[in-house]
Order: sequence, then structure tokens, then C-alpha cells
Amino acid sequence: MDVSAQARLENLLWAIGTAAFIVIGSVLVGQAAKMIARWRGLSTSDQRKVFWGFLFAAPWIIGFVIFVLGPALASLYYSFTDYKLGKEMNWTGLENYRELLLGAGAQGRRFSQAMFNSFYYMAVGVPLQIITSLGMAMLLNNQLRGIRLFRLIFYLPVILAGGPAALLAWRYMLAGNGGFINVTLQNLADSFFLFDWLYRGFIFTVEAFNSFYAGIAGGDPIGPFKYAVPALIGALVLLSIARGEWTPAKRARAWLVAELIGATIIVLLAARALVADPLDPGLLLGSGALAAAGAFIAHMRGETRRFHLWTLIPLALAAVGIVILMTFGSDAERSLYVLALLAAAAPLVLVYITRTPMKKRRLLGAGAALLTGIIIVRLIPGQLDGGRLAVLPQYLTLQSAIAQPDNLDYLNEGFAATTPAALWLYGLVALVLGGLSLADNRYPRTARTIALVSLAAFGLIAVSAAIDGVRYFQAYNQIAAATGEQNYHFAQFNAATAQWPDKNRVPLWMTNELWSKPSLILITMWSSGAGMLIFLAALKGVPRAFYEAAEVDGANRWQKFWKITLPMISPAMFYNVVIGVIAALQTFDTIYILRTPQTEDDLASAAFFLFNRTFRQLEIGQGAAVSWILAGIIVLLTVLQFRYNKWVYYEA
Amino acid sequence: MATVTTNAQLSALPRTAQPNLFLRIVRAIDPRALILYAILLAASLFFLFPMAWMAGTSLKTIEEVGQPQLNLLPANPQWDNYAKLLREETFYRAYTNSVFVVTLVLVGTVTSIALVAYTFSRLEWKGRGIVFALMMGTLMLPAQATLVPQYVLFHNLGWIRTFNPITIPGFFAGGAALVFLVRQFMLSIPRELDEAAMIDGANPLQIWWYVIMPLSRPAIATITVFLFVGQWNNLINPLIYLQRAELFTMPIYVAQKNNLQESPIPWQDIMAASVLFVIPVLVVFILTQRYFVEGITMTGTKG
Repeated sequence: MDVSAQARLENLLWAIGTAAFIVIGSVLVGQAAKMIARWRGLSTSDQRKVFWGFLFAAPWIIGFVIFVLGPALASLYYSFTDYKLGKEMNWTGLENYRELLLGAGAQGRRFSQAMFNSFYYMAVGVPLQIITSLGMAMLLNNQLRGIRLFRLIFYLPVILAGGPAALLAWRYMLAGNGGFINVTLQNLADSFFLFDWLYRGFIFTVEAFNSFYAGIAGGDPIGPFKYAVPALIGALVLLSIARGEWTPAKRARAWLVAELIGATIIVLLAARALVADPLDPGLLLGSGALAAAGAFIAHMRGETRRFHLWTLIPLALAAVGIVILMTFGSDAERSLYVLALLAAAAPLVLVYITRTPMKKRRLLGAGAALLTGIIIVRLIPGQLDGGRLAVLPQYLTLQSAIAQPDNLDYLNEGFAATTPAALWLYGLVALVLGGLSLADNRYPRTARTIALVSLAAFGLIAVSAAIDGVRYFQAYNQIAAATGEQNYHFAQFNAATAQWPDKNRVPLWMTNELWSKPSLILITMWSSGAGMLIFLAALKGVPRAFYEAAEVDGANRWQKFWKITLPMISPAMFYNVVIGVIAALQTFDTIYILRTPQTEDDLASAAFFLFNRTFRQLEIGQGAAVSWILAGIIVLLTVLQFRYNKWVYYEA
Repeated sequence: MATVTTNAQLSALPRTAQPNLFLRIVRAIDPRALILYAILLAASLFFLFPMAWMAGTSLKTIEEVGQPQLNLLPANPQWDNYAKLLREETFYRAYTNSVFVVTLVLVGTVTSIALVAYTFSRLEWKGRGIVFALMMGTLMLPAQATLVPQYVLFHNLGWIRTFNPITIPGFFAGGAALVFLVRQFMLSIPRELDEAAMIDGANPLQIWWYVIMPLSRPAIATITVFLFVGQWNNLINPLIYLQRAELFTMPIYVAQKNNLQESPIPWQDIMAASVLFVIPVLVVFILTQRYFVEGITMTGTKG
């Protein structure tokens, strides 16, 4: 008998055995449940019900224990070991997590690149997917004959893109030389003068953007641009809330951004604190104190009226820091950390235990925030030292923070090649926005003044940092010119932007590292029909009366879309975004099919890295650590979905 | 819709009273609808073209495939590409492997899901709330968390290089989202039916089989097509566990064809295999697309 027939027969026998196992197991589970019910003194008819109920639920319960619960616990254990299939298992503690989260070693760098790739799919792919699927849904939301046929056609790619066949068709169409898409584009460019310019502009933009992203992902220093990004975010948000009346909606927006930034900082600090070697009580305390301050502000805003268990987490974090310090630290450090813990804990404890009047609470909060701020600045190493604080006044007066180029190694004098993270500036943005969100309607003028002043400040910082950033980039060229060496700083970006694409240039799509990610996103856009169906259902739920009322008021199409359609379908939007982001982390099939040896590392998502590590190299221990990091991120995203669901409009 | 009624009314008129044909057509045309149709057709082209290109390529010769060209269909369709594939033993084996695996998974998964959904919707028992909450909680747990240790588990069971890791887990009501879908449907069946059967002396198992299952056919059909498409396309699990050419299913077969380092790449063969791979999914989807739409809008997942 040939191998596959034999394997099938064996599998069939296993299946029959499994069925028997499930039947017997179910009866046993049912009987066990019945016995427990009897022991707990339930009536005979209730015992009968429990028996039947558990009997039918047993297939899932047994499967859950064998295939989910057991493996999940085992995987948690493996993640702390260096388990490799067929080799002995050694306990290595947090080593796997340390390597991955700190991006240390070859595998850590691979992982961080995979995370950068996944982030690319989220930040660039998901919005494009949302736009496509919303566009399709709006097209299909018309009363036309045969619209069901179009719905079928639009959804079809989803079914097919799940398998390799359609992906291979894309791969053939996207072939660099002589592929259908390139030939078509080339022909169009040859026939229309205008299209030629568009086409070359497209090539230039995509290559510039992707090479820049590759530079960042590869860890090339971006110097002062680091400060331009948070300042710009702050300025944009403030710009959107500083104009016009001071409304609750604006306060909510300020709080949303503040909370997102703050939460990110806290998670980053806590993650670092957990894997730091040797243990760093400062990071633990810092993240704990920040989280406590956040919880306090949330309470002030009246979001947490009752006592929530999760608000204990910051206290726990801070307490762990204290304990570690009490054990290992010096006396001078100890007093400082105790002070920090008090600052973090006092407002929370007071808020929950006493019924202090509002005004006192506010004073308390302000004092605590100040104290926490001071201590955090002191505690988080490398955040504001090394003259970084001097950057602020310089940028606020539009001066350059980079030293004048009088000798070749001046970069080290102005901005070291590895500047510390701009986390503190993000924190400042969160602090301003969070504070603004506290100012209720009684002080609209103060709030607006604060908003305008900080808008000006962040704007100035953004402008100065951007100018300095350009100078910083030029400096690398100057050094290269002076020393005669090649400029490796953002080398791909420099090459891509050095000249306007020639007439005969074609995108190389799957075989080029600058084009492989855009190709992947093109294919996911092609198969974004699942989101379309969700949008379509939401669109059908928007009452016609709303549009009619708007038409009476003379609203145009655009206004109707922004003021009625978008708010009404925001739950569907939110859902699709979260699902899209999770899917971006889990992208696997497309990468497996479309990768080439040159582009594998540039395409690899977090899930693909997991596959490589575990099933190709059989590094079970590290694979398990990756899977838990991924699981953590996904659970965090799901929690976010529940948390922010209330920001979107739901019909009562 | 408006145009339809107008035409119907027009044709109801006596022949002499009808305006001439040209005028009728002109009046029937709605410019807004025309524009919409144009956009819809253009979009359809984007969505269908890769399929058409796949089918067209599968009929070309290797010389044609290697050149830059824009024609969708070749002058001489090479039906032999398919004949060659069908004669190939590895193709036949992969296809039958796929059919076998998918059938077994469907039987096991659908039956167990129907049983579990039944107990969560029709039976009242102490502890149901907790068990159900636990099951819905697993929706939060991403597949990644268990992928690695499951591999270790199957490795220790000696199940690597067999079909077991792919087919057996399904027997344990895999997929909380699908259980939820069926449960929601079963909740809408009137209670009186169970009660009547109970008075007639039927036990829950009989009620499930004779009363609930026949009435739940739409939900069962929905999860069946979801599972079918998901399994037929499933690449990662077979890739991890089969590891042996004789056991490969169609997704791996097609993916492997692509990995051939031949030059020129025999795209016509790859595309012919792809067409044969896609056909069952396509047929099932077109026949059951109603269930797809309902299922997705209900659970929000694509299965």
C-alpha cells in the first residue's frame, strides 16, 4: 500500500479512536459533574440537567484542556528555558525575553526588524485597507440592479487570497521584468505624457518613503528629528483643540491622545524594567509612578468612580521597585525612592479612602503630579541628562542645538550619534494634554490660554528640531565628502532620492526590498472584502431620516459623509481597525508565498519570525517567548478595543 | 428599481399609446446609475483580473509565458497543460489528500460544534454561564500562544508526519467563534419544540438530532462553508506538521511549485495547478455566498 493511502487509513483509525475517546470522556465528565452536583445538594432533576449539559459541553472542555490550557501553560514554561527540540532543557529565566525585547544579538535584531515590518503593515496597510473596503461598501450601498453580483465579485478575493493560488497569480503579474502590471504601466507611461510624470513620481515617492523607513528600522540615528515627531504630534492635537469654543468633545480628544501616549510610555518602561539586567528599580518605580499619576487623572475626570483592581498595578510596580531598592540600594537612593512611592501612592490612596472635597483633591493632584514629575526626571536614566534639557530653551528660541561645524567630529559635540529616546518629550505632550483635559467648562479661558501657549511652544520645538534634523543629515554628507568615505547614514534613502527616476525605470515589486512591502499591501487591499461586509452592514443601519434631515438643512455630500455616515459607522470602523492591526501582526501566508531570498527579512512579520524560529530552527524556547510577546500585544489591543469603544458612537 | 416599474407601467399601456422604443430607452437611463455602474465595473475588473490572468496563463506555452505580453488569452489554448498535470502522480496525491483531510475535519468539527452549541443554547444547567464565558474567553487568546507547545505535544505523541495534528483537534469543537454563531442561531428556535419532544419522552440527544439539527440547517451550512474554505486554503498547519511529500495537501503542493528554481519559471504549470486548486472553493463560494455574507456580518470574522 502506498504511503499516503496508509497515512490516510491510520488517520481514519485515529479519528474513530478520538470519537470513541470523546464519547467515553464526555460520559465521564457528565458523571463527574453529576456527582459534584449531588455532593453540592442539587435536586435530582438539576443533577440530570447538569449531567446532560456537561455531557454535550465535554468535547469542548476536553479539547480546551488538551489543546489550549495545557499547551498555553507549557509554552509559558518553555519561554523561560532554552528548550530546543531533541536537546536538554535548561532554565534561563528572562534571557529569551531580554534578547527579544532589547533587540540584542542577531535574533533580537531579526525580531525587532519583524516588529518594524509588522508596524509598517499596520501604519500603512491598515489605513489603505480601510479606505478600500469603505469605498467598496459605499459603492455597494446603492439600490441598483445586480448589486448582489458586484458584492459577490468584491468579496471573492477574500476567499481566494486565503490560499496560495491567487497569491501566485499576483506574483506572476508583479514580476519585475515583463510582468503584466509593469508592462501595462510602461505602456501607459509611453502613451500619456501626464501619466509618465505621475508614474515616475509614484516610483520616487514609494522608494523614498520605504528607504527612509528601512533606515529607521535598521537603527540609523535620526538625530534631532527625534524631537520633531512628538512636538509635531503635540502641536497638531493642540491646534485641533485650541481653536473656537472649549467643548467636552475637545477635552475628550485631549485625554484620548494623552492616555494613548502615556500608556505607551508606561508599557515601554515596564517592559524594559522587567527584562533589565541587573534589575532596575528606577524603571519599575518610574513606570509605577507614571501609571499611578495616570490613574489619578482618570479618577479626577470621573472615569473610575468605583475601586478597580487594575489601579493597584501601578502601586504594585512601584512597591516592587521599593523592595528591590531596600534590599540592594544605598541610603541616599532609598529616601528618594520612598518619596517617589509616596508621591505615586498618596493621591490614589486619598482618593479611594477619604471623601476629600474636590478642591483639596485638585491641590493634592497638582502637588503629586509635580513631585512625580521631578522624581521621574531624576529616576529615568538617560532621559534628561547630558545637556538634553538645554535643548528645550534653545529650540524655543529657534536656535540650533547642534554645535557649529568647525571640525570633523562635531556631531559628537552637538548630538551624539546615539541620542537617548525622546520619551521625555512625549511625556511632556501627554502631561500638557492630560492637564488640559482636566480643565472643565468653568475655566474655558485658562484652558485655551494654556493650549495656545503650549501650541506655540511645541510648534517652535517642531520647527527648530526639523531644521536641525536636516542639518544633522547634511552633516553626514559633509563628513563623507571631507573624509572621502561613503555616507552609510540612510544610504538607501540617499541613493533613492539622489535622482528622479529614468524613463525606463520599473518597480521591481517582489524582488526588491523597497517594493516588497508595498506589493504585499497591494494584495491585502485586493482582498479587503471582509471589512467591506462589516462596513456594508453598518451603512445599511444608518437611518435614511438622518440624511433627509441634513438635506433639508442644505448639507452637501461631503458634509453628509463626515457628519453623519462616518460617526454612525464608527463602531464598524473601530472594529475593522483593530482586526486589521491584529491581522498585520499575524500575516503569514502571503509572506511565505511571496518572499524571495533577498526580501525575506524585509517582509517577515512577527508571526513569520515565530514560524522561522520554532519550526525551521526548532528553537522552541525562544519561539514560545515570541508567542507570548505577541499574545500580550494582541490582548492589549483587544483590551484597547473595549476601552475605547465608548469613544465611538453607538446607537442607544 | 424606479426604472423597472416605469417600464412595467409602459408595457401595460395599449400598444398605440406607447412612445417609440428609442425614447423609452433614453427615459429609462438614469445618469447616476450609469456612473455607478461604470465605477462598479472598473472595480470588478481590479478584483477579477488576477483570476482571469491565472486562467489565461494556464493555457499558454512556456515561450509565451516568458515574454512580456498583455494578451489575456493565447492564440492556441494549451489544454495539454492540464492534461499533463492530471497525469502527474504528486498532483493527484495532493488533491486526494486535501479532499480527505477536509472531509474528515468537516465531519468532526461540524458535529462537535453542533453538540456544544446545543448545550450552550437549549439546555439549562448549573455552570453553563461559567463554561460559556470561558469558551468566549479563548477568543481573546491568540493562536500564537498555543502554536509552539502544540507542536511539542504532537511531537511527543509521534504525530509529526501524519495527518493527525490537522484533523484530530477539530473533533474537539475547535473555533469558539463558530460555536457562538451556531448557538446564536439555535437560540432563535422556539422553546416549545423541545418541550413537546420532552413530553413525548425524548432525551436531549434525541431532541438534538431530531428537532434542533434539522431546524439549524442554515447555521450548520454557514459554518460548514467557513470551515471548508478555511481548511482547503490552510497552509501553515500542513506546512508545520506534514513534512513529507506523500502527505502534502494542495496548498503546499501549489506553494512548492512556486519554489522551483527553474528558469524560465513554468508559470503556465503553476497557474494550471492554481486553477484546479481554486475551482472547488470558487464553486462552493458561489453556491453558498448567502451564508458567507450572513456569517460574517454576524461574527465579524472570516472564519
